[in-house]
Amino acid sequence: MNGFPLPPVPVPGPVPQPAPAWILWGLLVFTFMLHLLAMNFVVGGSVIGAVTARLGRRGGRPHHAALVHWLTQAMPIALAATITFGVAPLLFLQVLYGRLFFTSSVLLGWFWFAVVPLVMVAYYGTYLLAFKSASLGRWGGWIRWLTILIFVTISFIFANNMSLMLRPDLFRAIYASGSTSHANLSDPTLWPRYLHFTLAAVAIGGMWVSGYGLVCRRRRPEFGQWAMRYGAHWFSGVTALNLFMGFWFLFSLPRETMARFMGPVPVATAVLGLGIFAGMATMTVMFLAAHAPRPAPLVSGGIGGLLVTVVCMVLVRDQVRRGALATMNFEPVPWVEPQWTNISLFLVLFVAGAAAVVWMVRALVMAGRPETGDGPV
Amino acid sequence: MNYPIWQVPAPGLLIALVSILHVFISHFAVGGGLFLVLTERRARQQNDALLLDYVRRLSRFFLLLTLVFGAVTGVGIWFTIGLVHPQATSSLINTFVWGWAIEWTMFFTEIAAAMVYYYGWDRLPARTHLAVGWIYFIAAWGSLAVINGIMAYMMTPGGWLTERSFWSGFLNETYLPSLIMRTFVCVGLAGIYALLTASWSGDPRLKAKVACYAGLGWVLPMAVVVPLTLIWYLMAATGAGIPAAEILGADGTGLPAMLKALFTADGTTGYPAAQRAALTSIAAAGAVILMTLFLVTLRRQNYGPIFTGLLTGLSLVAVGGGEWMRADLRKPYVIGGFMFVNGVRLPPPPGAIRAPADVQVADPYALDVLRRDGLLAHARWSQVQSAAEAAAHQEPAARAEALFRTGHELFNLACTKCHTTDGYLGIRPLVAGKSTTDLQTILSNLARPVNREGQETSWDDPDLRLATWRGRRMPPFPGNQEERYALAVYLSRLGGDDRAGFEGPEAQGASPAGLDSGRELAAETCLLGHDPEGDWPMAAMVKGRDTATP
Repeated sequence: MNGFPLPPVPVPGPVPQPAPAWILWGLLVFTFMLHLLAMNFVVGGSVIGAVTARLGRRGGRPHHAALVHWLTQAMPIALAATITFGVAPLLFLQVLYGRLFFTSSVLLGWFWFAVVPLVMVAYYGTYLLAFKSASLGRWGGWIRWLTILIFVTISFIFANNMSLMLRPDLFRAIYASGSTSHANLSDPTLWPRYLHFTLAAVAIGGMWVSGYGLVCRRRRPEFGQWAMRYGAHWFSGVTALNLFMGFWFLFSLPRETMARFMGPVPVATAVLGLGIFAGMATMTVMFLAAHAPRPAPLVSGGIGGLLVTVVCMVLVRDQVRRGALATMNFEPVPWVEPQWTNISLFLVLFVAGAAAVVWMVRALVMAGRPETGDGPV
Repeated sequence: MNYPIWQVPAPGLLIALVSILHVFISHFAVGGGLFLVLTERRARQQNDALLLDYVRRLSRFFLLLTLVFGAVTGVGIWFTIGLVHPQATSSLINTFVWGWAIEWTMFFTEIAAAMVYYYGWDRLPARTHLAVGWIYFIAAWGSLAVINGIMAYMMTPGGWLTERSFWSGFLNETYLPSLIMRTFVCVGLAGIYALLTASWSGDPRLKAKVACYAGLGWVLPMAVVVPLTLIWYLMAATGAGIPAAEILGADGTGLPAMLKALFTADGTTGYPAAQRAALTSIAAAGAVILMTLFLVTLRRQNYGPIFTGLLTGLSLVAVGGGEWMRADLRKPYVIGGFMFVNGVRLPPPPGAIRAPADVQVADPYALDVLRRDGLLAHARWSQVQSAAEAAAHQEPAARAEALFRTGHELFNLACTKCHTTDGYLGIRPLVAGKSTTDLQTILSNLARPVNREGQETSWDDPDLRLATWRGRRMPPFPGNQEERYALAVYLSRLGGDDRAGFEGPEAQGASPAGLDSGRELAAETCLLGHDPEGDWPMAAMVKGRDTATP
């Protein structure tokens, strides 16, 4: 018994990486952004929906009820999108960083496995609310909060895995504990990372509400104006708080990783700087929208600002990962044999699938709303 | 070895549980899509409001079952195999990431189409609604066609073993029979789900209509086509080197021999787990067909959820048994001819595509390397690095203890993907009363490389077959001689021999030649599988023989 002579990061197998790293990275970042936007609707929209439902219980607040109805009807679709858009980045992550990701997943063990039943329960919860909300009575509120609890738990498990995979120095000690499930609670980046992302989800949930108000302002002008301002309140208020979380996250990073953002790596410094600027500008615009008599132009600008912020922050997250990988001298798979035919086939089918989805959704939206009022769009 | 081990008991059962549930739902997700769109078209053409209303209600059930349970258990398989078998998952991902990416494009199209189809009932023109239904079905079937290639590859990797190319692995020997078989399973399951949903209706006219339509048009085609494709599938697998006849305990490679073996197997030949799974699947499928015929002919207006629930449950058993048998046919590989269930890889055959010289990396988890260097030398997550160290202790009690601990570690590394100590495939009853010498002999003979003619060959033979110990479909022991002894000590102690490990150095290294060292040893060794509680009880084999007959 004499310790571990081999390094903790597994070695690549005798199978080549089937694409250049830049393609896999590009798809990882792009599909993760899609996942993030849908996931933020789910987490943020659920929180806003539950709070709004509570506020709406006081009489004379029809807009609250209308917003809750829309969020409730749209939630199963948003969750389907979250899962679907979540599959792709997980796939590309496994090719690029599977040796770290599989290891951290095994160490999390049952916690990681628990994501599957948790998603299923929450998914059925959202359908129950969407299909039976009228007959659920007070149970509806409990189910709302239960699904939120599950969503934030799932987020926490993901934050654990994504942070643990960057800490191979902890792998051995965790494995030696002999447990079949372990959380990465001792990592100083875990809590700020998790809170920063969760608050961002709530803020972006607010932006979805404002966006919805923007879309239906002509058809339902009074509700549209209200929803734009209401969402803007959520966005600007939560983002103000989240600024502190972001800086906490930044300063909790290991010194070498944090240093990347202070000049030595221009891309890292640029995306962080632009991200903070765009985030603060968007927050200001949305704060103004929350109090403006005609918020529509401001909300439009806010949505644009938010998209810039999200792109920057996803790249910042990537730079954090790159910093950690550099610190541990992580070597990419040396044998690369691109499957160009399959890559081309994928791109063609992606475009075809996206076109089919656009055609179907457009047909549904153009067909108008049924008399029952059910359905999200 | 390369990855940490998730030390849950019988992890393979967890994969089986999640996979079988997913397969059951996902096949319905494909067949159900076709059922919905064809039934909707039929209802509209015949102006049948009753049938149209039924399809509409079925689509909600479909949405709730396939989008939630089906999709999430699909992701669940991925989570589970990543936890239980990261080596194999990593290998599959690197080989087939573009297959999965292509499947993902179909997945998101399918999900969107299912939603638009459901929400579009009152909104879309009939023609558009039907078009959305067709988009759903095409995407769902495309998804099946892709995943089927990866699953078939895991059993029969085709030319991939030497060419390492996506398409040579994907379009392998069992791809087509498997795809057609699965397609008809999808069709049959759609009919069964249709009967299940119709059984809740209080309208006998609707029940009769669905019983005839779904029973005759959907379930029975499955009953006719699936056995035919099963024959094709088994023949294709046999042609690709899978010893299907041997596993099923048949005395010939033809289908009649295999079928006969299934119904007459007494556990003395073949692989009992696979035989049980196959027989269970066939029996359940037969019951489904008979119950469907009974329903269509005698009870078409009067059947309830209990009857159709039983029908659905039996379908699950049939599908589960089939999947179980498929997994058993693949054993002891997780990826045929490439990786054993315990993550050990075979050395590549001569002429196989390898990494260019500038990035050439020796595979430390290849069988030849592990046998040369020792398993523990490459066990990244083990604190025990050498069995020789344990055997070198001078004091007998300390040596025995060190050997036991080392053997335990080796058991974790090489055996726990399938075996538990006392639970599922528990090892303790199998090694009860065995000495370290017996166990070393057995470990040396778990699997041997033979060619198509059954003659001894090398592990990198491109036409490799496996001769496994008593047909148990076990991988070869992947360590060196000292490790084999340490594992034998651990197993012997588990089996009740408290003196195991106290022997002198001569106890280490019992060679396979020990098999021939005498009737006593051979008889004792055979008891591994022939205990009264074992897979092949000796009593059944010797029944009616006199004491003079060995």
